[in-house]
This record gives sequence, structure tokens and C-alpha cells, in this order.
Amino acid sequence: MNSSSALFVSHLFKSYGTLRAVNDISFSVPPSTCFGVLGPNGAGKTTMMKTLYGKAEPDAHPDTHMEVFGFDPRRDQLRIKTLCGIVPQEDNLDVELNVEQNLRIFADFYAMPRKAAGERIAYLLDFMELGEKRTARVRELSGGMKRRLIIARALLNDPALLILDEPTTGLDPQVRQLIWDKLRSLKREGVTILLTTHYMEEAFQIADTILIMDKGNRIMEGNPRRLLEEHLERNVLELMNVSRAERLAQLLDGVHTEASAERVLYFSSDLAVLQEAAARLDPGDGVLRQTNLEDLFLRATGRRLNELQ
Amino acid sequence: MSSSSQNHTEGCVDGLGNPLAKLRGAAAHCIVGRPPRRARRLYAIWLRHVRVYSKNLISNALPPFLEPIIFLVGIGLGLGRYVGMMDGVPYIQFLATGLLVTAAMFTAAFECSFGTYIRLEFDKVYDGMLAAPMSVHDLLVGELLWAGTKGFFFTVSVMIVTTVAGILPLGSIIAAPLLGFLTGTMFGALGFLVTSIVDNINQFNFLFSGLISPMFFFAGVVFPLENLPPVTRPITEILPLTHPVRLLRGLATGNLGWIHLFDAVYLVLFTILVGAWGIHRLKRKLVD
Repeated sequence: MNSSSALFVSHLFKSYGTLRAVNDISFSVPPSTCFGVLGPNGAGKTTMMKTLYGKAEPDAHPDTHMEVFGFDPRRDQLRIKTLCGIVPQEDNLDVELNVEQNLRIFADFYAMPRKAAGERIAYLLDFMELGEKRTARVRELSGGMKRRLIIARALLNDPALLILDEPTTGLDPQVRQLIWDKLRSLKREGVTILLTTHYMEEAFQIADTILIMDKGNRIMEGNPRRLLEEHLERNVLELMNVSRAERLAQLLDGVHTEASAERVLYFSSDLAVLQEAAARLDPGDGVLRQTNLEDLFLRATGRRLNELQ
Repeated sequence: MSSSSQNHTEGCVDGLGNPLAKLRGAAAHCIVGRPPRRARRLYAIWLRHVRVYSKNLISNALPPFLEPIIFLVGIGLGLGRYVGMMDGVPYIQFLATGLLVTAAMFTAAFECSFGTYIRLEFDKVYDGMLAAPMSVHDLLVGELLWAGTKGFFFTVSVMIVTTVAGILPLGSIIAAPLLGFLTGTMFGALGFLVTSIVDNINQFNFLFSGLISPMFFFAGVVFPLENLPPVTRPITEILPLTHPVRLLRGLATGNLGWIHLFDAVYLVLFTILVGAWGIHRLKRKLVD
């Protein structure tokens, strides 16, 4: 038992027929931290998350070891689900019911006493800024409100671990920022957070550690800032007008270059050399900027689409 | 969040003691340590269905309530005048006894086919429910109990009509609600099995046009099975509805025999076996 971790997974495998969705994934998440799982569609993120609360069964593999607060999801899924809040990728509210009734039903699933449930619901609607929508039908809610309601629902049991599968996909920037704020405040209160996301910004904003997955495999793991430092040059000159590449060829000889039909990227930690190159370009030809997690992600998982995306 | 913590602590069970509270850090409040007991979980699932269903009670419940009554009036009074006695009783009585459980069949079969499929594939509500401390088994057994409850409810409503209209003496059909419940779970179980097999929602037409509707005519509700050619006997004996109908007739007339014990055993075994099979198959759709 790995008692210092909220979550401990080692050698996790999950196959669907011949497709290996999760291939030997290991990680551990200390309490009160946020662990972000990044990867393109089909990377195995959702499948991996589902194995943590019994929604997917991992392959029977002798080396697999899983613990969520000391409980094995393969045996104690009910204990785990009592301790966790889960926000699945797809909205799954009861559309016939109103906002409060949706939460009432779940309060019953946790066998919360009526009065305590009422207070908790009022508190969470307020927390997720849905207080005014208490009696609104789910059909009348916007996408962002539905998402916030699902997060409120996942917080009903005051979870020690919050599992979120792409919590902000498809939401506008305001709602996304609001959700990030709420997640940060939960983390401060001691909640451990596990989330998957496509948004590098999201991972950078709230994750203490990120795991990049691709085709079921672990690509890299670590603190996002540190990963950037370790794996990527500090700056990138992004050339949109590819016909200018010739002009820069000699100057940028030896600089790490990634080219596609519409773009050439020059990566370097030496800002001066990129600045010099940029000076030779006309306005609009390209842009010089710091590298970000998206660059790292694309370098790690490839720039082209794979057959699962 | 600390403002709510004191209230929230009431009634919570910290089944894990200190270590987990430590993991939560200083702000840790009540942690619901243990999942609710099984009976409580099933009740919560059942209650969910009651709440969602009663949200649109009139449009949900009125048609299945009126259907047997319309049939009773239209066929029983209209056609019944030309039929006279059937199986030793006035036709309207014969028909009314059978109709006590057909509404249970229809509503339960609908609930656990179209209803279950929509919850499974369209609304995805099961994915939400399985995020709470519920197993797939809890989820589906709770739903089966709900199907039984609907059977109970509709049998009682038909019973009220037949009693008030003076068609059947209440004393003779006092066991009908129980049979309505059992019929509901029986067809709920069948609905589960079919739901686990279909690829799309349109395929339920095979269940309703191919099995449920014919059963209405060939399970002894509208006319006695003895009127059919003997070769059809094995088929009518396999049809699930035959058994609650015959059992109810036996109870209503007081003419009970071994065949009725067979009916009761069939009813219970069918529900358990088909239900377990359906749940087993649906589990594969719910757990990856």
C-alpha cells in the first residue's frame, strides 16, 4: 500500500479486442494536488480514468496495481465512488428535472439526510454560481451551466478526489476561467484533482503534474514548467510565409526546425539568433514567441492526425 | 466551504477514521466513508424513477390507465353482448380479469426497453448514476423494482375501475396487485434482455409487434386458450403473459390446481433467469 498517495497506479493495461487503449501506464498523485492527463483523442485518457472507479475493467495483468485512497477499484468500486466526485465527458443530467431535483436525486444516492442535503445543495449551487437557476429545467440551461451543474453534483459528497474528464471542452472562455478558479479553490481546500484535457492552457494553469499520453502510451510526465524547460527550447520563431525559409536558411543552420507545408518552426533557447532572423522578415511573415505546452505536446505526440483522431 | 462543513457533518459516517481526513488537509470536513447499504441504494434508484416519472404524471400515466378501460368498454360491453358467457362467467368479467395484468405488461415492457435504451444510449443518465456509489447490478435491479411498481400501480388502477363499475367483486381479485407487481418485473426482465440485444431503438418494434401485442391475444386475455387448436398449446405455454393471466383467473374463481402452481413458479423463475441474463448482458454495455 502506498499510503502517501491519494492515487497510485502501476502497470495499468486495458485492451479493446486487439486495440490496446492503455499500455503500461503508471503514476501516482499526492493528496491535494492536481494531476493533468493530456493526449490527443484516442490516447486512452478517458479509458484510463474509467478504470479508476470501475466504469472500465482493466486487463487482468499480474503486474497491475491500483489504489485509490488504499482501495482497489477492481474490488472496492463502491468505496471509491463514495470518496470521489466524477465528472464524465458527456453531459448526463436528467433533462426532465430541474437543477435542484437533479442534485436531490444524487443526494439520495449518497443517502444524505434530507436537511443536510438541502443545505449542501444550496451551498454548491452558490459555489458554482447557479443559485438563480435552482428551479430551471435542465433543457433551459446553457452548455456552461450544465457543466457547472455536473461539477456541483460531483461535489455533493464532499469528495476527497475529484475526477474530471475534459471538464471545459466546448465552453466559452469566461466559463472556462470560472471552472479553473473553482478547481484551484477546491485544491486549496485539500481536494485531490485528476483531470484530462485538450487545453494546454488548462493543464498549465491548474495542474501540478502532467502526464502526456499518446496511443495508450506514456510519453512524458512531470511539472509542466519543468517539462518545458527540459524538453523544449525556450523560444520559437513561427514562420507562416514559408517562401521566406530560404532567406533564413543560412542564419538558422543547426537550429531545431520543424516544417510543414504551411509553416516552419525554428526552436532555439538563444533568443538573439531568432531575433536576428525575425529582423530579416517582413511584418506578417512570422512571429517570435516563447514556447508553450502546446509546442511540447505537438512535439511529443506528433503534428499529424492519427487514425484514432 | 468551511461554512457548510458543520451542518454537513451531521449524519455523515466517517468510516475510515483519521488517515483520510489527513489526506484532505486542514480544511477536511466530513467524508462519507462508507457506501449506503444495498437496500438504501436500491431505494434511491427506485426513488429516482418515481421522481422522474411523476414529473410528467398525466402524460405518462393516463394513456396506459385508459387503454385497458377503453378496451373493456369497447370490446367487453360492445362485443361482449354477442358473446354472452365465456369460460363459465359473463364475458366482461372474463375480459376484465385478464386486463388486470396487461397494463402491467405494457408499461413494464416499455419502461425497460425504450426507457432503458434512452437512459443508456441517448440521455446517458446511467453514466451519471454509476459515478455515485452504485453498482451496475444495483442500478438495474432498482429499475426492475420500479417496473414492478408500475405494474402494481396500473393493476390497482384497473382494479378500482372494475370494482367501482361493479364488474368484479373486490374480494375475488385481492391478489391482483401482487400479480401486477410480479408481471411488471417479469416484463421488465424481458425488456432488459431485448435492450441488451438491439443495435438501435427501432428494433424494439420486433418486441412489441412480434411478441407483446400478439401475446395480448394469445395468452388467454381475450378468449380462453382452449379455443385454440391443440398444436398451439406448447407455444401459448411458453408465452410469459399466459401465466399471470391464468393464475389470476384461478384465484378469482377459486378453481386452483397444480397448473397454477406451475404458473407461479414460471413467473418467478422467468423473472429471475431472464432478468439475470439481461442484467449480465447489459453490464457489458455499461462497463467497458
